[in-house]
Amino acid sequence: MNETLITPLDGTPEDAEKLRIAVVGGGPGGYAAAFLAADLDMQVTLIDPEANPGGVCLYRGCIPSKALLHVAKLIEESQQSKNWGIEFPPPKIDLARLRTWKESVVKKLTGGLGQLSKQRHVEYIQGRAAFDNSTTLRISKTDNSEVVLSFDRIILATGSRPAIVPVFKLDSPRLMDSTGALNLEDIPGSLLVVGGGYIGLELGSVYAALGTRVTVVEMLPGLLPGADRDLVLPLHKRLEKMFAAILLNTTVASLKEDGGGIRATFEGTAVQEKDREQTFDRVLVSVGRKPNSEIPGLHTTQVHVGPRGFIEVNKQLQTADPAIYAIGDVVGEPMLAHKASHEGRVAAEAIAGHKVAFEPNAIPAVVFTDPEVAWCGLTETQAEKEKREIKVAKFPWGASGRAVTLDRPDGMTKLIVDPHTERVLGVGIVGAGAGELIAEGVLAIEMAALASDIAMTIHPHPTLSETVMESAEVFFGTSTHVFRPKHG
Amino acid sequence: MELETDKAVVEVPSSVSGTIKEILVKEGDKIKVGQVIFTADNNGAAAVAEPARKAEPSSKGATATPVQSPSGERAAAATKLQPSSPVAPTSQSAPQPTRATGPVAASEFRLQELGENISEGELVRLMIAPGVKVSEGQPVMELETEKAVVEVPSSVSGVVNEVKVKEGEKIKVGQVIFTLQGSASSPTEAVRPARGPVEHVSGQHGARLAFQAAIRAEGKTEEQALPPDQPRPHPAAFSMPAQLGKVAGTEHREAVPAAPHTRRLAREIGVDVYEVKGTGPGGRISEDDVKAHAKALVTAVAAAAQAPPRAGHFIEPKLPDFAKWGKIERVSMRGVRRKTAEHLAESWNTIPHVTQQDRADITELEQLRARFAPKAEQAGGKMTVTAIALKVCAAALKVFPQFNATIDMEEEEIIYKQYIHIGVAADTDRGLLVPVIRDVDKKNIVELAVELSQLSQKARDKKITLAEMEGGTFTITNLGGIGGTGFTPIVNHPEVAILGLSRSRTEPEWIAGKFEPRLILPLSLSYDHRLIDGADAARFLRWVAEAFEQPFLLSVQG
Ligand SMILES: Cc1cc2nc3c(=O)[nH]c(=O)nc-3n(C[C@H](O)[C@H](O)[C@H](O)COP(=O)(O)OP(=O)(O)OC[C@H]3O[C@@H](n4cnc5c(N)ncnc54)[C@H](O)[C@@H]3O)c2cc1C
Repeated sequence: MNETLITPLDGTPEDAEKLRIAVVGGGPGGYAAAFLAADLDMQVTLIDPEANPGGVCLYRGCIPSKALLHVAKLIEESQQSKNWGIEFPPPKIDLARLRTWKESVVKKLTGGLGQLSKQRHVEYIQGRAAFDNSTTLRISKTDNSEVVLSFDRIILATGSRPAIVPVFKLDSPRLMDSTGALNLEDIPGSLLVVGGGYIGLELGSVYAALGTRVTVVEMLPGLLPGADRDLVLPLHKRLEKMFAAILLNTTVASLKEDGGGIRATFEGTAVQEKDREQTFDRVLVSVGRKPNSEIPGLHTTQVHVGPRGFIEVNKQLQTADPAIYAIGDVVGEPMLAHKASHEGRVAAEAIAGHKVAFEPNAIPAVVFTDPEVAWCGLTETQAEKEKREIKVAKFPWGASGRAVTLDRPDGMTKLIVDPHTERVLGVGIVGAGAGELIAEGVLAIEMAALASDIAMTIHPHPTLSETVMESAEVFFGTSTHVFRPKHG
Repeated sequence: MELETDKAVVEVPSSVSGTIKEILVKEGDKIKVGQVIFTADNNGAAAVAEPARKAEPSSKGATATPVQSPSGERAAAATKLQPSSPVAPTSQSAPQPTRATGPVAASEFRLQELGENISEGELVRLMIAPGVKVSEGQPVMELETEKAVVEVPSSVSGVVNEVKVKEGEKIKVGQVIFTLQGSASSPTEAVRPARGPVEHVSGQHGARLAFQAAIRAEGKTEEQALPPDQPRPHPAAFSMPAQLGKVAGTEHREAVPAAPHTRRLAREIGVDVYEVKGTGPGGRISEDDVKAHAKALVTAVAAAAQAPPRAGHFIEPKLPDFAKWGKIERVSMRGVRRKTAEHLAESWNTIPHVTQQDRADITELEQLRARFAPKAEQAGGKMTVTAIALKVCAAALKVFPQFNATIDMEEEEIIYKQYIHIGVAADTDRGLLVPVIRDVDKKNIVELAVELSQLSQKARDKKITLAEMEGGTFTITNLGGIGGTGFTPIVNHPEVAILGLSRSRTEPEWIAGKFEPRLILPLSLSYDHRLIDGADAARFLRWVAEAFEQPFLLSVQG
């Protein structure tokens, strides 16, 4: 009487056929999307010029920089240990070995991703993709052959690259971007870091630890623009000791090759006359990153690129072209690996027809300097700008037993709380290991935790995580380790 | 229907409309996306409903399909089966026990009337235990009756002393469920008379009352319990490239106090989580809040559907210029015609109509009519089939009270009228008028014949007053004087049924092995399908037909 109905998969002519997906770019956005799409039973092709997935993050970003920062921290601690009665001779640095180790870390991780692609039957094509039309890609493979393939949906995860400012266009091996700096060709006597953002400070720290005299120039009045000043302050203090100079409110007017180095001219009220011109062995330009949205043939699609070069997407990460999705650095700030991955997963699910949206309540940001700076959700700076009523509860690490055992009391944990609902809206941490601690803050915000929820959650002792609990106690004026006499 | 997925229990709205023909699933079945739920008659074309895809990684993607009618041919009229929102009006408002209207001091709680013809139910879930505090309106158990599983709210407040029932037990109306601690007052609950024949309280309404009672018990106002949302400042434009934790280019809303899982649930069932009021600490939104919001939305949508724009004021398509094709005349439609147009449009738009047809053998009744005719004439009336139909219907309405009722969608209640006033449609030169004869059940046939003649005359003479056309509980319309073999009368809203009579004629009837000439009266009963089920309508009309066929019953009543 009533036949059983066979329903075809949305958008495909036959239900037996899997949805064919191409992911262009193998970074943390691209491979996360490709893997989930494969797990959701789609037929996936992943395209990237490198031998394995990984993208900027694994090959020349997060991973190699963190490997080097680990080394930098070790060197710093070996010097600090003097205070504890342990003295080491100055380190002997075998640069070749250090590079090899860093590269082995990258190889191990990217190789692992290649393995995971195979296990999931993701077709990995090493090459660059261009559009023939909305659903057809022309791929120039690294082996110089070319393939043209058609797909049901295409996810763009082409990432970003270091921005180049015309003034700094200088054909000199002494001038580096972050990729060049990570190559670690030598340990220069002096290094100028242009741009006081997280990449500049992280790489500057690495070189400083290795023995380079580092000067940082930042156009704005503070390091790490966008972060709350009270979080930056302990870092600034420490970097002042590590670096030769930190020049704020300063711009670089020109860079010139000058025999044995690059001569830089600075401009700005903060610069003293004698410092106006200085010569450096190397210059690292880290003034931001540009989205890779100039994909050949993109004009044959309906994809829309915004004024700052980001591909425009909706909350499902779908571009103006319904067959094309875009994720990661190429769609906008914050340009961070974990944001890219999360977007990648949302895009894959959206393509699978699930009702999903990229709508996080908090995206954590971590600066892996020493001390680390980490924050998530609402910042004080942002609340002030939006004229939002907030209450801030701060717990200084001087009152943390764990911080003192580590001889690192230069930290602070703070909660940004809605005074009416007592809901935690933001968390900011500066101090050793802040990057690991911030995850609790993200979870608290995502779960709409109240300050009391955190205060009443037992945290292990003695750990730095107690500072999160105690900052919540500070909110109620009842922190065990901070005594604040009540006024009036 | 309600479906339990691994995410949540979701209400599944129909994506087709029509009359259900066949239900192909039963409770407890596991249902797959794409499976046929029921077949429906939809303007002659049959349609099948299947669950729309659920956002599950495991569920095979399935959306709309071309639907096939049971006979296998493509049903052109079938709509795409994609529900816009996966929440649906709970069409079965389960009969609920009557509830107390105010706090009562009671020492025990007895099971109160559950609904029409339901005297017992099986206890499927007990939600209380000794020592537990209950407040009025709080659900205390789930009872499975023949019709549905209903949550039974407490009508008493206090601390439970002893629970007198067990899960799995059959419980009768009036049975003691639990006793309260330290209350000496008499069991007022048990003796309080139920209001009306039956009071139906829907699940949502019950839940709302329960919630109100609960916050009252906590000594809070609703405002305190559900603080209004904090005003959301306008999202700041994204400016600083180094600013992290914000996404450029995407519309940014302030973080909503709901966990990722809850936000996903909301998205999946089509609820904007920003609209949901959180009942948790600090306004935190729980899964239950999202579901409650979805239900409230559905109620609102259903209510809106029940209250279409004022009848007669629909935006109708623009008319062409008829004068282009020939001479026309425009005549004012004010007065009865406009009223009729408005009222009938309203009835038609409000009431899902079904018409049941039947025939009554009135050969015997004709003899009775002849016998009463002189009597009626003496009294100044005319013994007509309509007059007899009045008597028959009054008797039928007593047996079938739901035909003498009105639906109150706003209150989610059914109003049963304990009087029988029947309107009779009269064809006048001003148009259709419906004089109402009051207390039909208390009058004999001769009295009815006289009153009907007088009222009809008044209507035709334009002497009838508005009051004489109000208060009807049922309507009879007789077109037999003109002809016809059947028609579909429109229910006279807010009534729920109307009986149409057509021309009776002598027809051959197969009686005791041979054809006999019998006088047959065609009957057409239109009814409001929201309240009246098809089977009840068939029974009602059969009852009416049989009453016409056995006039001695009526003659006994006079
Ligand atoms: C020094 C440094 C340190 C960083 N540290 C951190 C950190 O600690 N934490 C963090 O979260 N983020 C960090 N980042 C940022 C992080 O690397 C990026 O946010 C992340 O890699 C973005 O991922 P994605 O998938 O969008 O693109 P990417 O990782 O940029 O990958 C894009 C890939 O697409 C390829 N591609 C481009 N065009 C094409 C084409 N036409 N066809 C085929 N392939 C193409 C590119 O070659 C590249 O491999 C750091 C970045 C740098 C530079």
